[in-house]
Amino acid sequence: MNTNQNRIVAISGNKSAAMGAALSRPDLIAAYPITPQSSVVESLAQMIAQGDLNSTMIQVESEHSAMSVVQGAAVAGGRTFTATSAQGLALMYEPYFRMSTLRLPMVMAIATREMTSPETVWSGQQDAVSVRDAGWIQVYVENNQEILDMIIQGYKIAEHPDVLLPVNVCYDGFYLSHLTERVEIPHQPAVDDFLGVYHADHVSLDPDTPMAVDPLTSGEILWRYRKGHLDAMQKALQVIEQTDDAFEQVFGRRYGGVIDTYKMDDADFVIVTMGATTGTAREAVDVARSLGMKIGLLKVRFLRPFPDKKIREILSGKQGFVVIDKNVCFGWNTGVLYMEIKAAISELGHPISSMPAIGGLGGADISVDQLVTCIQVLVKQGSQQPGQLDTYWFQ
Amino acid sequence: MNYIDLIRQSEDLVTAGMSACQGCGAELCLRRVLQVAGRNTILSIPPGCMAGAGVVGWNFDNGLKIPVHIPLLDNTASFLSGVTNMYQRKNRPDVNIIAFAGDGATADCGFQSLSGAAERGEKLLYICYDNEGYMNTGFQRSSTSSKGSRTSTTPVGKVQDGKSQNQKYMPLIMAMHNVEYVATASPSNMKDMVDKVTKGIQASKKGFAYIHIFSPCPTGWGHETDQTIEVARKAVKSNFFPLFEVEQGKWKLLDNKNPIPVSDLLNLLRKFSHLSPDDIAQIQELVDKRMDLLRKLSAA
Repeated sequence: MNTNQNRIVAISGNKSAAMGAALSRPDLIAAYPITPQSSVVESLAQMIAQGDLNSTMIQVESEHSAMSVVQGAAVAGGRTFTATSAQGLALMYEPYFRMSTLRLPMVMAIATREMTSPETVWSGQQDAVSVRDAGWIQVYVENNQEILDMIIQGYKIAEHPDVLLPVNVCYDGFYLSHLTERVEIPHQPAVDDFLGVYHADHVSLDPDTPMAVDPLTSGEILWRYRKGHLDAMQKALQVIEQTDDAFEQVFGRRYGGVIDTYKMDDADFVIVTMGATTGTAREAVDVARSLGMKIGLLKVRFLRPFPDKKIREILSGKQGFVVIDKNVCFGWNTGVLYMEIKAAISELGHPISSMPAIGGLGGADISVDQLVTCIQVLVKQGSQQPGQLDTYWFQ
Repeated sequence: MNYIDLIRQSEDLVTAGMSACQGCGAELCLRRVLQVAGRNTILSIPPGCMAGAGVVGWNFDNGLKIPVHIPLLDNTASFLSGVTNMYQRKNRPDVNIIAFAGDGATADCGFQSLSGAAERGEKLLYICYDNEGYMNTGFQRSSTSSKGSRTSTTPVGKVQDGKSQNQKYMPLIMAMHNVEYVATASPSNMKDMVDKVTKGIQASKKGFAYIHIFSPCPTGWGHETDQTIEVARKAVKSNFFPLFEVEQGKWKLLDNKNPIPVSDLLNLLRKFSHLSPDDIAQIQELVDKRMDLLRKLSAA
């Protein structure tokens, strides 16, 4: 298909999420407002009201019910969508965990936000990273185009017969949700073709094929479900790469699969990011290089499944790295992504200096200058000392 | 069809091996509800006595002959909202979408999702089997436990005397949601129950329907296992559990002209055996006041 014919618009991240969802033609959408996600479901409601989108929308009374309604629709064979943030995600945790463990594919957008307390509505990644062990696939994106593209790719990955897991497309609240950027809108027939029709028969409630969905399950059997779930997560690593390739062939854009890198080949040191900070970090890498530092960028796209092998390969020949976390890992004095990467490099066999860095909490800005300063600290301390350096706080 | 013939001729959709207590009111009602509903039905049974009795399946064995799911304790109505909307979308409105939930899943933590689904007018029938407490986990109090009830979390001791609060009265709360159909039913009045379940299923094709069933629990309430129907009958005859229905705003109340005293019921149940004559008089007053309110609503 000719991608030049695609419509080019300037839209917010939330609008991009809504358009990505609409292009994926969900049967049912559950809607409940929460800052900074609200305009996602508002946009979808508007499309349905105008007759531009033929989805059933259920205006629920809470996020707990939002996830429950889409769960019911998924068990009845539907493709579903919803969106949330922070406290909403926390409220829906109970059916959220069940969505993945029932192996029900869907896509949910998370406009990521700091968790209360202190009382806050602003950006951060504490909400989404806190549910990293609830069995969902989680992708963190860098810009508004990637939001739309990953919602479409998300359905392809989620519904793949080797995967059958729900997907979170996580994007920084306000920094992306309310930021206007250029976005290419793919043609509907191309998306229809790319996604195909979802057909569920592994778990369903239908009088024509009676099934007890989720009978009481004892420990002798339960482990098989968990093992199958872990296996599906590992298979998803491959499916993510394949989907990225297939997406590029149709739509002309690729993201690198589970990770992306920038100016990595000759780098001695690496800055690791996840989400919208990546865009700022690309600039910071250019500035730091102009100052003589051999720095590269590793963008972690998927937190679940965690691309440990790829990350190990990237970091194996490097002198040191810093991980920028917009969240904290309580009990470890670091961020969550740092701990994940630390686990991934534990098998390298040689010491490597690493610096946990925490910033961007509660909507605080992380500027190019701040990142350059952080890189300078890494290069200075990392050149002198292997192993874990003191946690760096953006103040 | 005569209701006795209907029950005689309809298939029992519960498989062998379900393990409810002897004399369980809920088990009897579940079997009758499913006989009325038939095989073209999807059933949700949240955690509680009926789920614990294995009706939702156990390991690789199914507990029902129809599709069944155990939703979360607090999301039965919203889960089924998703199911019913997909069935309307698939142009299969003939499939009966039914919840069979205990009072904890209905009146306590499931109340929000229930109220939301009722307000939206979701096309489903929600049946609450009310045994006035968390009987499956060992008889803890719920918001529908009657005042004075001895439960494992409202024990009788030197300074406490059973549940001190009044019962949350779900049938009226649901009627005030202006849904298609609301009714109360009792296993002692089986023809009435079969009629109401039939109406409830019909109403669920147009909107939300709710039936509240009085479900005696010999194990938790402390009565003999062969007294279940007698307990239910005395609850109806004393107006302790009034039978009424609201069909598209039209109220119909079964009014006992000469009700038996509520003590005739309370004396059968060990959970009330600690009550003084004054306590019983207070409960009688509550029962009479509620009946007066229902009479006024039904007369309007």
